[in-house]
Parts: sequence; C-alpha cells; structure tokens
Amino acid sequence: MKPFGPGHTMVPDENAAQVTGLAQVLVEHRAELLRFLTARCGNAAEAEDLLQELWIKASRQPSGPIGDGRAYLFRMANNLVLDALKMQRRAMARDRKWIVEETGMEGQAEDRPDPAASAEEEIARRQEAEMLRKAVASLPPGAREALRLYRFEGISQTEIAQLLGISRSGVEKHLALAMKHLRRSPADCGFYNAVASGNMGTPGGQVPPAGQVT
Amino acid sequence: MTNTEQAIIEQAVAWHLASLGDAMDWDGFTQWLEADPRHRAAFDEVALADALIADHPEAMPPVEVANDDWRGDDALPTPRKGLFSMRWAGGAIAASLVAVLAVWQFAPGSTVTYSTGMESREIALEDGSRIELAPHSKLKIEGREEERMALEGGAWFDIRHDPSRSLAITAGALEISDIGTQFDIQSAAGQVRVQVAQGELRVSSEALGKPLRLAAGHGVTFDPAGGTAQVATLPSGRAGEWRDGRLSFDAAPLPLVAADLSRYAGVKVSVAEDVRNRRFTGTLVIRDGKAALRDLSQLMDLELGRHGDGYRLEPRPR
Repeated sequence: MKPFGPGHTMVPDENAAQVTGLAQVLVEHRAELLRFLTARCGNAAEAEDLLQELWIKASRQPSGPIGDGRAYLFRMANNLVLDALKMQRRAMARDRKWIVEETGMEGQAEDRPDPAASAEEEIARRQEAEMLRKAVASLPPGAREALRLYRFEGISQTEIAQLLGISRSGVEKHLALAMKHLRRSPADCGFYNAVASGNMGTPGGQVPPAGQVT
Repeated sequence: MTNTEQAIIEQAVAWHLASLGDAMDWDGFTQWLEADPRHRAAFDEVALADALIADHPEAMPPVEVANDDWRGDDALPTPRKGLFSMRWAGGAIAASLVAVLAVWQFAPGSTVTYSTGMESREIALEDGSRIELAPHSKLKIEGREEERMALEGGAWFDIRHDPSRSLAITAGALEISDIGTQFDIQSAAGQVRVQVAQGELRVSSEALGKPLRLAAGHGVTFDPAGGTAQVATLPSGRAGEWRDGRLSFDAAPLPLVAADLSRYAGVKVSVAEDVRNRRFTGTLVIRDGKAALRDLSQLMDLELGRHGDGYRLEPRPR
C-alpha cells in the first residue's frame, strides 16, 4: 500500500499541475483531508496510507459530473477508515480465537499457518447474525420499524417520516436509539475486540455510588 | 454509563446519520473528532454497528406485530393525516403495508409485554433508557410514552430522568414512581425488593402508611405477610449484582433465597416446611446453579434432597 518509505507519499502537493477531475479536487483539499483522516483513525501514519489509497481511487475515477467533489472525497475517506477498521477488528477476533483454541496460548499471528479462514469466517458470520437478531428484537417497535425502513427498504429519512406519520426529527430519534442500542452488541459478544469499547457501557461497568458500605 | 458517555454516544450517532446524507459538515465533524479521543472510539462503535446491520439483512425479522397481547379493536388508532393521501408508485404497495402496521404499533394504549426464559434480555426504551430483564421474568409496558410498567420477577433499570414524565412501575403491592437513574427491582410471590444504585425514587403502596423516599445506596424489602417494609443501606455494588453472576442476602427468608436461585441459577428448588423460617446471610455465585445450591445447603447446614424434577432444602437428619 505504501511503495515509498515512511514519510513519502505519491499524492502530489498543491503545486502539481497535470492532474484533473476528482484527483484535482483531492490535491486542492489535501491538507483538510489528511487532517480529517488523522482525526478519524487517530494515527498520523495510517492517515497517510489512507490518503494514498484515496488518491489511487480518485485518480482511477472516470472524470464525470460530481456534485460536490470535496464532500464526495470526505465520504470516500470516511468509508476507507471504516473498511480498514472492519478488517482489523475481524482479523483480531479471528487471531485471538485461533490462538486460544489451537495453542491455548498467546502468540504472534504471523507465526502460525492460515487457520482455515473461510470456515472461521462463515461461523463468525452466523454468530454475528444471531447476535444482531437478538439485539434488533429487543428494540422498541418504533425504532425497529425506522431501522428496517431505512436500512433494509432503503427508504430515505424524509420518506420514513411521511410513512410513519411522524416528524423528521422523530425518525432521527428512532434511528439514533436503534444504533445506540445496537452498537453495544458487537463488543458485548466479544466480536469486535472490545479494546475501543471496554469503557463504554458494558452492563457490568456501572459504577456504584461510593461510600455506601455498611 | 455516565452522562458524558451517553452524550458522546448520542453525538456520535448524530454525526454518523448526518454523514450518510448530503448536508454533512465534514469540517465540524473533524473538529468534533479532534476535541476528545473518546469521540473517535464512540464513532467507531456506532459506524461498525451500522455496518454490521447492513451486512446482515437476515438479522431483521420479517414484518411483524410486536405487541404480545395485541388487543385488536380498542387499540386502533385514528388514521393519521397524510398516510392515506400519499401517492403510491406501483412497487410501494408493500411498503405501505409496512407503514400501516408500523403506525398501529405506535397506537396510544398499546401494550408490549416482554418475557424471558433462561436468559436475561435487554430492552431499550424510546427515550434512551435501558432495562435488563432477568431470566424467567415478565415486564409489561403501556402508554404512549411507555410510562406504565408492571414487573413480575427481576429487572435492572437505567432510566433517563425526566421530571415531565410520570413513569410508574408496579411490582407486587408496590408502586415505584418519581424515578431517577439506576435501580433494581425483584418481585416474587408478593415479596418485593427495590435497591437504588444511583439517584432516588418513591415507593408507595396501599399496604404502607405513607410513601417512602429511597436514595442511592438504599434498599427496601416489602413483605406482604406482615405488610411491612424494611429499609436498609446497601454495600456498594450490591444493587443489580445478579448481572455479574452474584446474589447477596442479608437475613433473607429461605423461601426467598430459593426463589432467587430458581430464577437466576436455573435450578428448581423448594424449601421444606420445617426450615422455611430460617434466614440466610451471604453471597452466592450463580453461574452454576447446582454449585450455588450446594454452597447454600452447606452454609446453612441443610440437607439437599431430590424433589420431583428439582431439589429440596431439608433439615439434616439427626
């Protein structure tokens, strides 16, 4: 992903002249995009890598009409971070599972042969689905319907508001509740490594009031 | 979860939803991310959860009527303006059916009943409050703002405090109202225990002379036999500890301990007549029901016998 050494990038700076289309928009907004990527993934080196990837994708994009090139690039960048995060979390969960099951000890992922990744992934997928089914089932009806319409029927928030006869902000509230609730489940099930989420709302994490010992 | 964490998650969700639309403020989002590293962690979780949903359409149940005790006629809503005046393209007919069902579900006066088997279950309320319903328990929620509830069994409540909403929970002969934040309720065979971890609440009952105010770190045990309520201070972390696989008792009557073990540890256990008045003080680990039962019988110097398809606590033969 990074053909040149650390600190180097193929993305040309603002003075480069020969680029066009989306790539040109990227060059214009390079600094802001890098700042966003750094804030989004919390790691400057990784942000550079991702900017590089963004540059490759943008350069390959056939030049055509794009409403707002800048917003388009930010969205692309945002998706790149999410994709990287998904891969990373899955790999971590798989490695940890494999290490515990096969060797009974901690070890470096690189030291071992491929643990039949596809079969593992199939199992992981089924477990994920089961976990989500439970989480979705425990949502209040309003939030569940809004989520269904939005995510599975692909209906826009404005249309959902019309369909359900509620306000646009009501739809937002439903969706927010649904996502707030569901975001707990991956970490709770040990799917995604709970490193990032261990301090945020596991059921056992309630802090009891101090000084009440009798 | 602290209020700050709640607020961060809410902001993360709002940013995530906005990022899917056209009017996203990417600079504002960057600044929000930079303001606090917890913002990024929260956003990661929300975005990952949403990505999971998108990856698993099969996790979404088919269109259903969620009300367990659906009461046909009297729950019919008045038709909402706009619903019937919408123009439908051909393919939207299915969607309109979804909508009609969905609107019925929100009808005022509808009742939703949640019940659990072997496992506990989390219930999310519209206002962001959370309830963890214990195994073998039942919670009925009624009212447009989900403001009336009735509990049989146990539940942990994490309720967002809203002075404008008159939330009331009925458990046995008690009514719990004027509620703020976190507390646990256990109700079985008329015996009710309420334990407050955070905030405070009001406990009233026709059986009691006057309502009680119960603050964080306090619990009340109501015994219907004598019509008495006993208030005690709680060790820190005691309220809702079943969620961590422990049950603690302070001079609790043995039948109540047995009822709790049956609910939480999944073992059927009864108490012989001769020892029903014995009281137990101590903590039981409930991950393994049989082990918990053995611990209890040893601590109390009782005989553990088989009884039908379960167990029975009996006096030791002399």
